Amino acid sequence: MTPDLMRSPLHNYGLPARAKAVDDSCGAWANEEPLLAYISLRGNANQPTFLAAVKSALGLDLPTKPCVSISNKTLSIFWVSPDEWLISCERSQLASLQASLKASLNGLHSQVVDNSGGFTTVILQGKNVSEVLQHCTVYDLQNLSENKVVGTTFGKMSLFLSRHNSGYKLVFRRSFADYIWTFLTRAAAPYGFGVQSVD
Amino acid sequence: MNNRVKTPHAQVDFNKPLNFTFDGKQYQGFAGDTLASALLANGVKVIARSFKYGRPRGIVGAWAEEPNSLVQVDVGARTTPDLKSTQVELYDGLVARRTTGWPSLSFDLKSISGKFSRFMPAGFYYKTFKFPASFWPLYEHIIRKAAGYGASPVVPDADTYDHKHHHVEVLVVGGGASGLMAALLAGRAGLRVLLVDDQAVLGGYLPSMPNIKIGDKTAAEWTANIVAELQTLPNVELLTRTTAFALHDMNMIQANELLQEHLPLSARNPNQRRERLHRIRADKVILATGAFERPLVFGNNDIPGVMTVSALATYANKYGVLVGKKVAIMTSNDSAYQAALDLAEAGCEVTIVDTRATTHPTWAKRAEQAGIQMLAGHAIVAAIGTHAVRGAQCAALHATDNKLIGAGPSLSCEIIASSGGLSPTVHLFCHDGGRPVWDEKCLAFVVSATGRANADIYCVGAVTGAFRLSEALQQTHDVLAELLTQFGKQIDIKNLVWNTDEIAPMPARSIFRVPDGQEEGRGAKAFVDFQNDVAASDIHLAIRENYKSIEHIKRYTALGFGTDQGKLSNVNGFAIAAEAMGKSMSEVGTTTYRPAYTPVTFGTLAGPHNGATFEPRRYTAMHAAHKKRNAAFEPVGQWMRPWYFPKNGENIHAAVQRECSAVRNSVGLFDASTLGKIDIQGRDVREFLNRVYTNAWSQLAPGKCRYGLMLDEAGMVMDDGVTACISDTHFLMTTTTGGAARVMTWLEKWHQTEWPELEVYMTSVTDHWATSAIVGPKSRAALQKLCTDIDLSKEAFKFMEWRDGTVAGIPARVFRISFSGELAYEINVDASYGEAMWLALMEAGREFDITPYGTESMHVLRAEKGFIIVGQETDGSVTPFDLDMAWAVSLKKPYSFLGKRSLSRADTARSDRKQLVGLLTDDPNVVLKEGAQIIENMDALSTKPVPMFGHVTSSYYSAALGRSIALALVKDGFKRRGEAGRMVTWADGVATPMTLVSSVFVDVEGAKHDA
Repeated sequence: MTPDLMRSPLHNYGLPARAKAVDDSCGAWANEEPLLAYISLRGNANQPTFLAAVKSALGLDLPTKPCVSISNKTLSIFWVSPDEWLISCERSQLASLQASLKASLNGLHSQVVDNSGGFTTVILQGKNVSEVLQHCTVYDLQNLSENKVVGTTFGKMSLFLSRHNSGYKLVFRRSFADYIWTFLTRAAAPYGFGVQSVD
Repeated sequence: MNNRVKTPHAQVDFNKPLNFTFDGKQYQGFAGDTLASALLANGVKVIARSFKYGRPRGIVGAWAEEPNSLVQVDVGARTTPDLKSTQVELYDGLVARRTTGWPSLSFDLKSISGKFSRFMPAGFYYKTFKFPASFWPLYEHIIRKAAGYGASPVVPDADTYDHKHHHVEVLVVGGGASGLMAALLAGRAGLRVLLVDDQAVLGGYLPSMPNIKIGDKTAAEWTANIVAELQTLPNVELLTRTTAFALHDMNMIQANELLQEHLPLSARNPNQRRERLHRIRADKVILATGAFERPLVFGNNDIPGVMTVSALATYANKYGVLVGKKVAIMTSNDSAYQAALDLAEAGCEVTIVDTRATTHPTWAKRAEQAGIQMLAGHAIVAAIGTHAVRGAQCAALHATDNKLIGAGPSLSCEIIASSGGLSPTVHLFCHDGGRPVWDEKCLAFVVSATGRANADIYCVGAVTGAFRLSEALQQTHDVLAELLTQFGKQIDIKNLVWNTDEIAPMPARSIFRVPDGQEEGRGAKAFVDFQNDVAASDIHLAIRENYKSIEHIKRYTALGFGTDQGKLSNVNGFAIAAEAMGKSMSEVGTTTYRPAYTPVTFGTLAGPHNGATFEPRRYTAMHAAHKKRNAAFEPVGQWMRPWYFPKNGENIHAAVQRECSAVRNSVGLFDASTLGKIDIQGRDVREFLNRVYTNAWSQLAPGKCRYGLMLDEAGMVMDDGVTACISDTHFLMTTTTGGAARVMTWLEKWHQTEWPELEVYMTSVTDHWATSAIVGPKSRAALQKLCTDIDLSKEAFKFMEWRDGTVAGIPARVFRISFSGELAYEINVDASYGEAMWLALMEAGREFDITPYGTESMHVLRAEKGFIIVGQETDGSVTPFDLDMAWAVSLKKPYSFLGKRSLSRADTARSDRKQLVGLLTDDPNVVLKEGAQIIENMDALSTKPVPMFGHVTSSYYSAALGRSIALALVKDGFKRRGEAGRMVTWADGVATPMTLVSSVFVDVEGAKHDA
């Protein structure tokens, strides 16, 4: 891996240089969590051997209820469809996680695909952040409880939406990044928009 | 002239004067005024000229029902045409002008034709401007100009707009007494409540009737208490200046909020939106939309100074404006009496002309005490005046039949106000299919008291025919009590009162058109619809001409069209039609109420879908590098792809020739990242591919790739691409750029619904892989500089194979495939490295003058090889055989493939279908038009219709051949290739002779890609 050559989808917006600590000067704050690793996993959730194999590889139970998101310190898992999940983690974990998944699932009908280049994550915060999202998505945010993830609309595009700390997390395709970021910053303009620092 | 009176409950702030301009003249109003109230306060009576006859018109109403006073507000980028002056809040510096009346408001040319109005009956335009058909555009131009109305802005909008989505348990439409009470009861129960109201100040009609007592409170106190409590409830949101204009299926309501229109330009926040579209999804909708007063129809009832009683009372009570000092009020019901008392108290000289023979004793007594003249059993049959009302001609009415029985006095007055009862605002109720019913007791089309509870729509207040306030509030209470039980909640009426000091009314008289003793059409014009100049006589004429359905009568006469959508006129029109046809109101029914309730600007509807966020654009990981090289881009699906890379001011043709030559002679670099990519894994992948592709996949070895054609059920080509065998249970499919999502859906659909027994899973990896295609005879030499762990030699890494390795230190999957016919490698990397890989390849190729090229050169290069593009050579009606691609179809596979059976249909199997051929023009410099028709020869042009043989699908100038080439689909084309194929293309009146040839122009034997 040669990290200095890697470019996140929002690289050209120069977000790290613009980042500030969140305060009340802006109603909405956002930034990209760049260059995470994403693994698409598919398999039969009705098959105990599949669930067990995934658990032994990830150390987490695969969510089998619709729209459930679970996470631990190293990774988070989004339920995507009855036989599909999106796992994200730090890039440094990608190779080992993928290898252990493949090893555990060897011989079981399933699919493990590295999709790390294909997604990115944006986090949102701020006192008006829910209002800003009401301009972007048709989803009823009151229904978005902790540990829930929904695939929904964002302008004319789609993404995964979940709660994150006191705000929200958006996970979407790389090629959508420009549209989603532009749409988000436009929606936030009346409330004041800032780029928040990420740890 | 100043018509201001400081009425005790006026909601204007007399300490805040505002200056504004109407039609170039300066006036003064106050904060809280509408443009209409301010104009009336300044004595401006003529605001418009009518649509058809050019008659002077003034303000009739006070809200959204106003038909006449359409004005142009503001100038330049913010100018807005045809706003109703009653809906424009006054701000300091407001500039408005008339939208009708040419050359001026005091003299309108059309008014001359108005003098001949007898010769301009209903359907006048249909009947007159009929022949010859070729003159229609000219007629339209002149008629439109004469009709007038405002002008759209001609410069880009200076403001921004947005949309906002809401999900609530209860939406209340209307902030009048019933709406406020409904919102409070739902809010107290803890429900998520949203209330929208079009006015700046909540209260509905209450500010217009301030002398009523609710419990021991004044109307103003009662309202203020409820609003204050609503504002403390965190689960309740109140949106003022917000008009719910459409109700759709599943209780989706659209409402338009004016955020800054009431502010002086200098106070407007450039970061704030001008207007906002609220899209509200509600479990239950409560329509508290109230009612508009219906005027009576009488002779010359359009003279400025004729208005509704409720409007007159509103201007006096709410805005402190006495529109005139001498007022004649004609009424069919008791509601006008309180207004008359209010006006008398404010200093007007009032005469009440009650169409009923017997008046209410209490009201009669109060009127007498207030010095009001009473004329019972009479009607005003005609207004007197031209540019302003000077008087009213009365006549005695029969006690029960609507006919005259004698003469009456002629009154001197400045204002005639009439009340024919109320018409409930049923529009939203009807938008998704509801119909109001005629209530003979209310004399109104009303909606049922429980609304359409099965559709989760409830109605409260005047819209249900509960016209008395106490009755409306009691009904609101009852509906809410029932509604709250559905949420498992109890109604909480603590400290809430709704008994009033209203006087129990006497029955109203059923009268709409006031008779004038003459046959309809003979007497003074009596207007029903002011905005469209529809008179009672027009409705009678339509019926004489045998129009029977009210929907047809509406369209023939234009009744209820226009920006007011007939809010004042519809019910009078229905009643006049009913009378003329001898039918009941129920039999006539109503026309269909459709969205929008009031006009909505395009800016609001477009919202954020404008400018940079108009259409989603997808970008590849190399986009920044392309921009640095000044690429011109073209949208492909939603992707923005480099189209060509101009150098030193080249045009597209020069750039493309240079790029193509570089690829054929040295090396080019192409961004192929946008192609759809689907990772497919499982025991049965080979069988799955056998079924979705036309060719065979059972034997393809790991490390190898194959081109595949995908057909729809009809046997027509729907997609193509190269699929690689990664392992026996793992394949990577590529699709066309535009077809990626469709193919993914297609694969999932067939797997999930028809072949669930096949063990395969598929995942889109389109965005994960960034693909740089290095193409041309020097591509191997360039790639070799960056890649040491893959043996790139001809023998070790053959055409249509792939290898994993490292390129420029980056993990890469390299495919040896070619869409140009040249030696080529496609280097796929994690998209995070996409730009680094592109730049590394550019650097490595520098010694070979590596040339980045775009989609245009890619198209030329593939056409030289006769490679198809799905969607260009195909259009959903083209089989693999039509494309001369039988080599890609395996009819021997044990399990059928999608589309196979259709290939043997008689029509698909015949040998003379349109087939893909190449075209060479006689003149090598002529580049044919794509889409040009192909005909046999010039003689064919004399046959009508001209027999057509096909069309040009792709056409380019080929740098490699030094001449033009084209691809075409031509009937029986395969047989015509060669000397027999002398034909002609025909486009834009130009015939071009040419010859049909093979579709492969360059390197027919394929030696180059195998190099």
